[in-house]
Amino acid sequence: MARILAVDDSPSMRQLVKLALASGGHEVDVATDGVEALQVAERQQFDVVITDVNMPNMDGISLVRELRRLANYRFVPLLMLTTESTSERKQQGKEAGATGWLVKPFDPARLLSIVAKVLT
Amino acid sequence: MCAAAPEPPSRCKTLEVSAEAASILLSFAMRESEAPAVELGGALERLSRGLRPLEGGVAREMLAEDVAACVRALQFHDRLIQQLAVIRNLLTRLTDHPLPQMAGFGAMRWEELLTALRERLAEHSHHELFELLLRTGGVAPGAIAEQAEGTSELF
Repeated sequence: MARILAVDDSPSMRQLVKLALASGGHEVDVATDGVEALQVAERQQFDVVITDVNMPNMDGISLVRELRRLANYRFVPLLMLTTESTSERKQQGKEAGATGWLVKPFDPARLLSIVAKVLT
Repeated sequence: MCAAAPEPPSRCKTLEVSAEAASILLSFAMRESEAPAVELGGALERLSRGLRPLEGGVAREMLAEDVAACVRALQFHDRLIQQLAVIRNLLTRLTDHPLPQMAGFGAMRWEELLTALRERLAEHSHHELFELLLRTGGVAPGAIAEQAEGTSELF
């Protein structure tokens, strides 16, 4: 079981990601944007962070960049979960320090297998 | 943009107000669809929690697959909302008026909005636009939207 932070500005998406991950036995916290996620991540340690890209206040790519600056998140898997699929955006995510890029809609079983993979 | 356009001013104004009305309708529809999507997500979460203590078997597996199918399908709502937000933002660029706050957008706010739009479009030919607003997303003056939803009437 891992502690996972799921970040998305859409309430229904937060619920769905939480539901999918909880069904795999993971403990899930949620945040509504990059700013809130960064605050939560500074207070608590998570094993994985899964974030949307387009969000108000701070987008997902900026969040990844900020998290990588924190010593305790340097090696934590950071996954982008987004509707965006252009190679330019993926490259931006990779350069910011993202571990992976998942395009919505996600399949719950696939999400769980990816989380398991990045945790090993 | 309108000053340089070849159309007569009234047509240009109509376009601007129509774009504003369309962006407001979109915002209204997006806001309205959020609560049912969250409610559905909550129901799925409860269903999924209920599944966990059940013993394994074909029925449980089928239910789990159905929940997973719902999780996949419900994400298209989020995608639709994102696409509508882009369209709304494009429409808003056509007008000089920022979108009004949609929080607590009820009959009172709707009347205020219609009054403001009417002041800018007084011609009789624009009644069609207001009819569209009232039919599609508006709240009838003095009525509470929730009271009409889900009701039935036999004649």
